Amino acid sequence: MAVCIAVIAKENYPLYIRSVPTQNELKFHYTVHTSLDVVEEKISAVGKAMADQRELYLGLLYPTEDYKVYGYVTNSKMFRKLHNSFTDVMCNPFYNPGDTIQSKAFDGMVSVMMVQAS
Amino acid sequence: MSVPDYMQCAEDHQTVLVVVQPVGIVPEDQFFRIYKRIASVAQVSIRDSQRNLYIRYRHHYLPENNDWGDFQTHRKVVGLICVTTCGSGKEWPQTSERFHGQKEVFGATLYDSRLLVFGLQGEIAEQQRTDVAFYPSYDDCPDVEKKVEDFVESIFIVLESKRLDRATDKSGDKIPLLCVPFEKKDFVGLDTDSRHYKKRCQGRMRKHVGDLCLQAGMLQDALVHYHMAVELLRSVNDFLWLGAALEGLCSASVIFHYPGGTAGKAAGRNPSAAQGQAADAGKRHRPGALTTNGISADTSSEIGRAKNCLSPEDIIEKYKEAISYYGKYKNAGVIELEACVKAVRVLAIQKRAMEASEFLQNAVYINLGQLSEEEKIQRYSILSELYYLIGFHRKSAFFKRVAAMQCVAPTIPEPGWRACYKLLLETLPGYSLSLDPKDFSKGAHRGWAAVQMRLLHELVYASRRMGNPGLSVRHLSFLLQTMLDFLSDQEKKEVTQSLENYTSKCPGGMEVITLPDGLRLHPVPFTKLPIVRSVKLLDLPVSLRPHKQKGLMENSMSTKSPFIYSPIIMHNRGEERNKKIDFQWVQGDVCEVQLMVYNPMPFELRVENMGLLTSGVEFESLPAALSLPAESGLYPVTLVGVPRTAGNITVNGYHTSVFGVTSDCLLDSLTSVRTSGCLVEVIPSLPRLQLSTSLPRSAHPLQPSKEELSSSVSVQLFNGETQQLTITLENIGSEDLETLEITSKISNTKDGISVTGLPISSPLRQVLKPRAETRPPGSESSKTDYNHVKMLEAVMTFKYSGGAGKVEGYYRDLTLGLHVDVEPSVFFTRVSTLPATSTRQCHLLLDVFNSTEHELTVSAQNNQDLVLHASECQRMAIQVDKFDFDTLPQPDQETVRYTSLKLLEEERLHAQASMINSTLGITWDIPSVRRKGEASVEGVLNQLVLDHLQLAPLQWDVMVNGKPCDCDIIADCKVGDAVPLEVKLTNRSKNTVGPFALTVVPFQDYQNGVQNYDLQDAVTFIGSNTFYIDTVNPSEESLCLGALLFLYSGDFYLNIKFQDDSVGKEPGAGQGKELPLSWFGLPSIHIRAQEAPMEAGA
Repeated sequence: MAVCIAVIAKENYPLYIRSVPTQNELKFHYTVHTSLDVVEEKISAVGKAMADQRELYLGLLYPTEDYKVYGYVTNSKMFRKLHNSFTDVMCNPFYNPGDTIQSKAFDGMVSVMMVQAS
Repeated sequence: MSVPDYMQCAEDHQTVLVVVQPVGIVPEDQFFRIYKRIASVAQVSIRDSQRNLYIRYRHHYLPENNDWGDFQTHRKVVGLICVTTCGSGKEWPQTSERFHGQKEVFGATLYDSRLLVFGLQGEIAEQQRTDVAFYPSYDDCPDVEKKVEDFVESIFIVLESKRLDRATDKSGDKIPLLCVPFEKKDFVGLDTDSRHYKKRCQGRMRKHVGDLCLQAGMLQDALVHYHMAVELLRSVNDFLWLGAALEGLCSASVIFHYPGGTAGKAAGRNPSAAQGQAADAGKRHRPGALTTNGISADTSSEIGRAKNCLSPEDIIEKYKEAISYYGKYKNAGVIELEACVKAVRVLAIQKRAMEASEFLQNAVYINLGQLSEEEKIQRYSILSELYYLIGFHRKSAFFKRVAAMQCVAPTIPEPGWRACYKLLLETLPGYSLSLDPKDFSKGAHRGWAAVQMRLLHELVYASRRMGNPGLSVRHLSFLLQTMLDFLSDQEKKEVTQSLENYTSKCPGGMEVITLPDGLRLHPVPFTKLPIVRSVKLLDLPVSLRPHKQKGLMENSMSTKSPFIYSPIIMHNRGEERNKKIDFQWVQGDVCEVQLMVYNPMPFELRVENMGLLTSGVEFESLPAALSLPAESGLYPVTLVGVPRTAGNITVNGYHTSVFGVTSDCLLDSLTSVRTSGCLVEVIPSLPRLQLSTSLPRSAHPLQPSKEELSSSVSVQLFNGETQQLTITLENIGSEDLETLEITSKISNTKDGISVTGLPISSPLRQVLKPRAETRPPGSESSKTDYNHVKMLEAVMTFKYSGGAGKVEGYYRDLTLGLHVDVEPSVFFTRVSTLPATSTRQCHLLLDVFNSTEHELTVSAQNNQDLVLHASECQRMAIQVDKFDFDTLPQPDQETVRYTSLKLLEEERLHAQASMINSTLGITWDIPSVRRKGEASVEGVLNQLVLDHLQLAPLQWDVMVNGKPCDCDIIADCKVGDAVPLEVKLTNRSKNTVGPFALTVVPFQDYQNGVQNYDLQDAVTFIGSNTFYIDTVNPSEESLCLGALLFLYSGDFYLNIKFQDDSVGKEPGAGQGKELPLSWFGLPSIHIRAQEAPMEAGA
C-alpha cells in the first residue's frame, strides 16, 4: 500500500499530493519533489532512445531509508486505478488542466489506495 | 584516514602531492599570494622525456592521510615547500630548525623539499643552497615559479628513479608487502613464505608501480601494470587492493578518454593544462599521433591501447566493482566515498545521470563514523554540488538545504546563520522559486507550495537570526504575497503576526535590498492585501461638474483637427487604461477614485495610509485608513485627493501600508484589476456655490429623473396655499464668483394635466460677490379641481462661473428641484348666477365643498365667513359687480400671429378668471392647522356664468327726475308734476348697434304676485311712451328724453321693453340677431309718487 500519492503536472508542479501520516507531510513533499529529478532524467532518456515507445512504467525511482518511490506503473492494478481516476478528472469539462485536483471522486480513489492509518 | 577530499577526481591519480606550508610567522595574505604563484605551476613538461608531470598543491594535509600513500601514491606527500619570513640573520638558525621540523612530519615520504625565505638579506642570503631560496621581500620574488619548476623536476627525477627501481625489481628480491595503516596488525605472524602471500605482495607492488607510472606520465605502462595487478590480486582475494587496482585502471582510462578532466568547475585549478590537453585530445585518439604529448619510449602504447584501456562503459563497471570491494572494509570508507565522487564526476561527463545518482545514493549511505558538524556541512554541500552536476537540481537543492540546516544545528555552539542563509538562497532555483514578486503576478501560482513555503520560512528565520530584520520583513512579505492562496487560516494569522513583530522594529518599504553577494531582492508590494478588483475614477458631484461653454467648445475642437468631422479617431487606440475619461476634474476640488477591494484574510485587515499614486499634475493625495472585515466581499473604498495644478492626470496605482509594510501597487502590474481608464483632465479652478433653502431638503428625487439635481426641496401644500421659499447661495470656493444666471423650468406632472400655475420666478441676471446672499422670490401656486393629491415639479438652475476656469470657458450648474404635493382644499362643485336687483350686479352662487379633514372657514370679500366641516358642502352666495372684461389687456399682434386660436381663447379665459378671482377674493382658513390659502373658481366657470358676470356692452342708464335710477333706488316724485325720464345708451361694443325701439310700460306690483298693468288712468305719458334710438356707433352715446305724469300717489314700476329694429319685423326676434339678451338688461324703475303738499293747491 502507498503512504503518499502525488500527481505531478507536465511542468513539474503538483496537481495533487496526499500522504497518510499527515503529521510529517512536508517530508513527503520533499521526497516527491526530489524524485522528480529522476523522472525528468528517465523521460528525457526515453525521448532520446525510443521516441515511439512511450514506456509509462518508470519503476522504482529511488529508495529512501524508509520508503521506495515509484514512478508511473501501468502494469499494476494500483496505478491503473489511479490512471482511470485521473482520466476521469481530465474528462471533467469544468476542470482546467493545470489546476490543482480537487475532485472528491479522485480523492476517494486515492484514499482506497492508501495505507489505512491506524 | 577520516576526512574525505570531496574535490577529488580521477585525474588526481596522476598528480604528485606537494604541500606548501608557512613556517613561523607569515602573514596570511602574503602566504596565499605566494601559494597562488606556486600553485600556478601545476603541470611541468619534463625536458628530456617529453613527459608531463602534474602537481597537486595543498596548504593543509593531515599526516595520517599520508599513511595511505602506499595504497594510492597520489595521497603521498612527495614534496614540501615551506614559506617563511626571516628578518635578520639571527633568526635564521631558528627558521632553519623549523623547516627541518616540518620536514620531519612528512619525512618518510618526501622526495624533496624547498624553503622560500622572504626578507633575509646579507651574508646568509648570499650562500647558494638548492633547498633554500632567498628573497628580499614578498613583492620582490620574480623567479618563484622558476624555482618551483626546478623543484618539480627534481621530484620527477626521484619519482622516475623509484619507478624504474620498482618496475625492474624482478622477483629476485623479496618483495615487501605494502599495506594500509589498519592492515598492519592483521599481518602480524603471517606466513611470509606462502605462495599466497607472495602473490599478494606482487599484486600490491604491481598496483604501486602502476600508480608511479601514472604519476610519471607513463599512461600505457600504468594500464599494463594495473591489469596485471588486478589479475594477481583477484586470485588471492585481496579485495581492498583489488579495488585500488581497479580504480587505478579506471583513473588511467579516464585520463585517456577525458583529457579535459572530470573535475568540472574545479578544472580551473590548472586551466592551462586542461586547455592544452583538450586541444590535442583529438590527436590522442588517433593512433600513431602520440609522440607530441605521448610517452617516449613507450613501445607498448599503440598495441596496448585497445587492449588495456577501458571503454567508457567499462570504466563505470570497474568503478562499481572497486567500490563494492572497498565497501567490505569499514576503515576504507573515505576511499569508497572518494571513489564514488570520482565515478560520479566521470558519469557526469558521460551524461549518465541515472547511474551517477545511484553512485551518489550509495555515497549518502557510507558511514564515516562520527563526523564533525563542519564535515557534515561539507558533505551535504558536495552532494548537492554533485547532484547539480548531473542535472538533478531538485536533489541538489534538497542537500543544499540540509547543509544549510546543518550550519545551524542545535548542537553547534555558534550557529552560522549567515552561511545558512547563503546556502538557502542557493537552493531557490532548485525549488523553482524566484524572489521577484513579478514572476508570480502571471496567473495562478504553480509550484511546490508546501516546500517553497517552508524554504521561505527558513529564509525569514535565518535572516532574522543573522540580525537583518529588513531582510526578514522582505522575505516574509514575499511569503505572504505569493503564497497567500496556500496558507491556512491559522498560518495566515501567524505569518501576519510575526510580520507585524518584525516591522515594529524595521518597517518594510519599497526599496531594493542588495545582498553582499549581489543578489537583489525586489520590493514586494502587497497587491493581495487587500485585493483590488476595480479602479474607477469618479466624476465630481453633479453640482460641481464643470461644463464647457458651447461656443468655446467648438473652438477647441477646431484646434484639434481641421475637419469638422472625421471618421479617423485622432488619438491612438491605446490601452483601455490610457484612454482619457470624458469628464473633468477641477483644480482645487476634492476628486475621488473608487476602488472595489476585498480582504482575503480570515481576520480584520487594517490598511493604513492608503492613497493614490498619480502623475501628470501636482496632486495632493489624502490617504485613508480602512478596516476591512474578515473575508469581506467586494467593498468600495474611495480614495480622495486634490489636484493642485491643471493638466492631464494619470492614476498609476495606489499605495498602502499593511502590517507595517508600505507598498506601491502599480496598476500596470495588476492584470486582474478592471478599470475604465485612468487618465483624466484637470481644468483650472472654478468657484463653488453652496445652496441652502429655508425649507428642508428632500431626499426623494423628482419624478422625471432625467437630469441629476444637486439638491431638491419638497413641500406639501393645500390647493391654493402659498409658501415662501428662501434660497441662499454661498460661495465656499476660493475663486470669486463672476457670473450667475438663474433659470427655472416647470416640468409637467405625470398625469398630463396642464398646470396653469405661475412661473416660479422670472429670469434674472445678477453679478454676485462671494458670500453675497440673494433672495429671489420663489412662489408657486396651482389650481386644480380634482379631489386627489397632485404633484408639481420645477427645476431652478443656477449657472455660475469665475476665476481661471471661466477664462477657459467652463462654468458650473447648480440645480434645485422643487417638488410640491398639492392636496385639495376647498373646491366648487357647482356655480350659477342669479341676477341682482341692479343690472350692474349679480349674485354668484357657489357650492363649496371642503375636501380636507379639517374644519375650515371660507370667506370672500364683502361676505360673511362660511364655516365648513370636513367633507361638507354648502352654498355660498356672493354679490358681485359685473365685470368689464374689455378692460383686460389685449394680446399684442405678435402673439396673436404665432399662437393658435385655442390657446388664445384659453389665455383669455384665464385672464377673465383671474380677474374674477381677484375680485371675489375667496380665501379659506383652516384654524386647526393654521393654514390658509386662496380658492379659485376658474375651473368651474362656464360660458353661461361668464356671460352673466359680464357687464353688457350696451349700457343703459335711466334717469328719473335727473337722478340715476337703478334697482333698489326709489325715485320720488310728486303727483301732478311731470317727471322727466331719460334713457341713455352707451355703446361699448365694437360694433354699431341699433336702431332700437323702447317702450316704457308702467305697472304696479301688489307684492302678492299680482301685477297691475291697467294704469291708463293713473299714469300718463307726456309724449310718446315709445322711444326710438337710431344706430349708435361704438363708444358713442344716444339719449332719449320723455316725461311721465303720475295722477295718483302710489308705488309704480316702469318696465322698459325693448325692440330691435335693425332687422326685419320678425316676431320673436326682439333679442336681436346676434346681440345676447343680457346686453339689454335695463333696470326696472321704481317710482314712488306722493301727494304734493297741500299748501300749493289750496
